[in-house]
Formats: sequence, structure tokens, C-alpha cells
Amino acid sequence: MLLSLLIVSWLIFVTTTASALFFRERTRGGLLGIFLLRTHAESPQAKKVAAAFAKACRCALLAAFGCSFLLLTRWMRPYAGIYLLVLAFAHFSSTWMILRHYREKLRAVKQKNGWAERPAGVVTVDLGVSREKGKSAVSAAWVWLFFLLSFAPLLYLSLTPAARETFPVGFSLIGPLCQTGAVFLYYQMKNLHAPAVEGEPEKNRACARAEERINTASAVLVAFFFLIFWILLHAFIVFDGGALPTVLLAFATVLCLIWAAQRQRRKIRAAEDRIFGGLPEDPAGGEVPEEVWKWGCYCNPQDPRLFVPKRIASMGWTVNIGRPGGRALLFTIFALIAVLVGVLLYGNVKDYAVTVRDSSLSVDAALYDTTVEKRQVASVSVVDSLPDGTRTNGYAGAEKSYGHFTLNGYGKCMLYLYRDVGRYVVLKLGGNDPAYLILNGKSPEETQNLYREIRRWLEE
Amino acid sequence: MLLKIDMTSEVPIYRQIRDGVVLGVAGGRLSAGESLPTVRQLAGDIGVNPMTVNKAYALLKKEGLIVVDRRRGARIAVPPGTNEQFGPGFDRRAALLISEARIRGASKREISEHVSELIDGIYG
Repeated sequence: MLLSLLIVSWLIFVTTTASALFFRERTRGGLLGIFLLRTHAESPQAKKVAAAFAKACRCALLAAFGCSFLLLTRWMRPYAGIYLLVLAFAHFSSTWMILRHYREKLRAVKQKNGWAERPAGVVTVDLGVSREKGKSAVSAAWVWLFFLLSFAPLLYLSLTPAARETFPVGFSLIGPLCQTGAVFLYYQMKNLHAPAVEGEPEKNRACARAEERINTASAVLVAFFFLIFWILLHAFIVFDGGALPTVLLAFATVLCLIWAAQRQRRKIRAAEDRIFGGLPEDPAGGEVPEEVWKWGCYCNPQDPRLFVPKRIASMGWTVNIGRPGGRALLFTIFALIAVLVGVLLYGNVKDYAVTVRDSSLSVDAALYDTTVEKRQVASVSVVDSLPDGTRTNGYAGAEKSYGHFTLNGYGKCMLYLYRDVGRYVVLKLGGNDPAYLILNGKSPEETQNLYREIRRWLEE
Repeated sequence: MLLKIDMTSEVPIYRQIRDGVVLGVAGGRLSAGESLPTVRQLAGDIGVNPMTVNKAYALLKKEGLIVVDRRRGARIAVPPGTNEQFGPGFDRRAALLISEARIRGASKREISEHVSELIDGIYG
């Protein structure tokens, strides 16, 4: 479990750093999110700032990696979940601060050299190019095919009742949902803005064709990676591949997605360099003034759009918080994240409270309370080990696991367990859902006391 | 033909699209029969709602500058042979622009030369 948590945290660190390093490369919008003409972005001064930024990001990544190993010490182990959450947040914040710092540095270099400012927020569209939109794209049939294939686990589960014990049918819809996102991404990528230069209709057209092909091919690749991830994840869970391969699979998928994004940016840059040569200093238009980016969000009340391309357009879209609808949407997203993190922290911190009354036994735990009547309990026993199993709907952290699980040989169980105690009270119930209620205390002694209390309650 | 849309302008985007097409037709960069992008294509390229482009096309159609065919999409219309070359409100709009220039200190000669340059730019 600890190893899985470690790998998950590394996954978060790598993703955060990779996302930040996207800013290091020159784009049509400039460098590090600061508008620079192409010649200025390629000057030694700008390159030096970008290289220092990349170095600082890598150092932050190494520091986060190093700190994550503290988890293996016995002092940190009980707080593993919270520690990794705090570490991930600290790494994200430090990377963000590094980006801000080097952005300011680059802005100072820009001011010192008197480099050109960003033009007004003008979008330039070549009507000839726009007319041919979609003709050079990789066929949308691929993403729709992957979407259909993502239903394969659902089909398998509906034909194999035994597999539904470990993989609920409802969960199998997550794959098609992700593939819907990939389909959406395909159409977004297809519509990405291509550079347009006055008096160069043929070059504009050639560049738009090349970029459309690269962008849609990238979207198809992303959809393919999602599909492979989904099918393998399903197979690992159904055929009990264990937690480690699942986490490694997630790691590999994230690396593949980062590679796809890098590949797309590299190819776009190469295509623009090849077609326009050294020509366009600011070919795209479509750039927005620097002042509209506040705290990483697009805030422009004058812009009627609710959704706008991100600073790095190929990374998708963001919300215009200058509009009331945008603010409402952002607030909703933040509220959801806050609730989710709050629930996770609460679940991690809150201890189980077992209450025995006249005819019922209640276990109070975050989100997963349960009550059993005395007449439901067939027997009670103490065991020193539990078989392997899978979580169907519950919480599984480094310190405790609670909620709905399926254990080999036991079937559906409600667990309220502290890890590494080595003693468990097992209540066999009359029904099958759940068939067992398994709980323990924080130590073998506490567990033994709990067992005695439950025995007394049953004998009364 | 390049269409430039200023996202920070107070002029509505649909109006800027319409003005861009008018300038393109007048300057010969868009010729009669030439097809325009579909509403969705253009909206996707500019990054606005398709309804905005739809509104611009509806306005252009109403003014007779484009024809919309269900199968072939929007195309630049053949210029109608009409005696009303200046259209409704031309004098009022032109007089207003000249008045504004005069208020800003432009002389009659400067205005005349400037307008001549603009006319040359459009007629070639």
C-alpha cells in the first residue's frame, strides 16, 4: 500500500513538473507565458532564463522525490495520506512560484531590452483556410471506434456475473466517460487556430493543413492511450493483478500522455518553421494582453467568450472569470475540489466509533456509517489475518481502510480496519450484502477489548 | 482573405465579421461566387459561439452581400444592379465621420486627401 501511495505521489510530481516545463518552450504566445517576438524568444538572454527555470523545476521535483521517502520512516507512516497530500500541494505551489519568479525575471529582461509588447487582442483568421477546416484531419472514426471499444469491459461484466463481484458494473462506465472526453478533445484540437500571415494564402493553407493533421493525430493518440489504460485497468482488477501493476499502469499512461503533448508541440513548431521559415514574427494573432491573466486564470470582462484557449493553446481551454458565468463555474469547481479534499482529510483523521446499544451495534466512520441488529449477527470471532480482496466502494489509505470491500472467501464485507494491527473482529451476518462486518482497534489489545464487548453484547 | 477580429473592441464581434466581409468584397479580396466558411468552421477558428457567426451571416444575407444555399453554404453574392449605390444612411454616417475628424482638428484638405487614400486602398 505504501509503495502504491509513493508511486501515486511521484505520478503527481512528474505531471506537475511536466506541465510546468511546457512553458519553457517557445510558442506563438512567447516564452514562459510572456509575449516575445520569435527573435527575442530565441535570444541567448531569454534562453538563459528558460534554462534556469527548467533547472529550478527539476530541483523542485528532486526535492519532492526526496521528501516522499520520509513516508517510509515509522514516524511518518501513520500520517501517510495527509503527508502525501501536503507534499503534493507543496510541490505544486513551489513549481507555481518558480514559474512566477522566472516569468518576472523574463519580464524584467524584456523591459530592459525594450522588446516589443504584445499586440491588442486581435484574432486573425484566413477565410480560405477556415473554409477548408477539417479536410486534412485524421478521421474522427478512430476516436469514435475507441469510444465504442471502451464499452468492452461493460460487455464482459454483463456476460460474466462472477467478475461483477470485484468490478461493479457502474464503474465500467467511467471508461466510456473518459473516452467522451477524448472525443471532445479531438474536436477541440481540430478547431485549434493556425497562423495566418497577410498575403501568404498558400503558406497559410499549407500550415493549417499540417497543424490540423498533427493536432488531430495527437487527439487520436490520447484516445488510444486512454483506451489501453482502461482495458488493462479493468483486466488487472478483474483478474486480481494487485495494486502495484495498476499504479504502474497509471504511471505509464501519464508518461505516454506527456509524450503525446510534447510530440504535438514539437511537430507544430517544426511545421511552422518549415513552412514560414523565418518569416512570421507574430503570425497567429489571437494573442491576448498579459494583464488579463490573473493568478493563472483568464479574466477579461470585455471578452464575451466564456471559454477561451489557455495560454498554451494546445493544452485546452479555460474559463473567462471576467464573466459572471465564468466566476460561477470556477467557484463550483473549487467548491467541489474543496469538498472532496475535506472529505478525504476528514476520513483520514476521524477514528471509528463503535457504539453498542440494546439491540444494535453502530460503527461511525466518515461517509460509511453502518448499523447491524443483534438478530442479524450469526457469529463473532477473532482472526489474525485477512485474505486479499478489492475495494468496491470505500476508502483505502495507508493508515486505515473502511467501507465496502470484497474479500476472497468472505464475499461482500463492510470493513472498519486500522492497518498493521494483525487482529480483526469478524462478525458473520445473516445476509450476503454484506456477508461480514470486520473491524478492529488501533492495537491488538484494543481489538481484544472490542471483541469481548461484542461477545458480551451478543450474550445479553 | 484575412479577417481580423478585435476581442477587446466595443464593436460587437458579429458586426466585425460583417464589416470584414464588406471590406473584403469591396477590396476585391472576396469575389462573387466565392464560398465562405461554414458557421461552425468560422466560429471554431475565431473561438466564438456559432450563434455570433450566424448573426453576422444573417445580417450579410439581409444586406444582399451573401447568398446562403442549403447544400453549398454561404457564398458571396453577385453585386445587385441598383441605383442606390450609397445605401440607406450613407450620407449621415459619412457626414458624422467627417464631423468627428473636423472636431479633432483635421482641415478640409486633410480630410479630402485621407478619404482619397482610403478610396484608392479599396478600389486599388
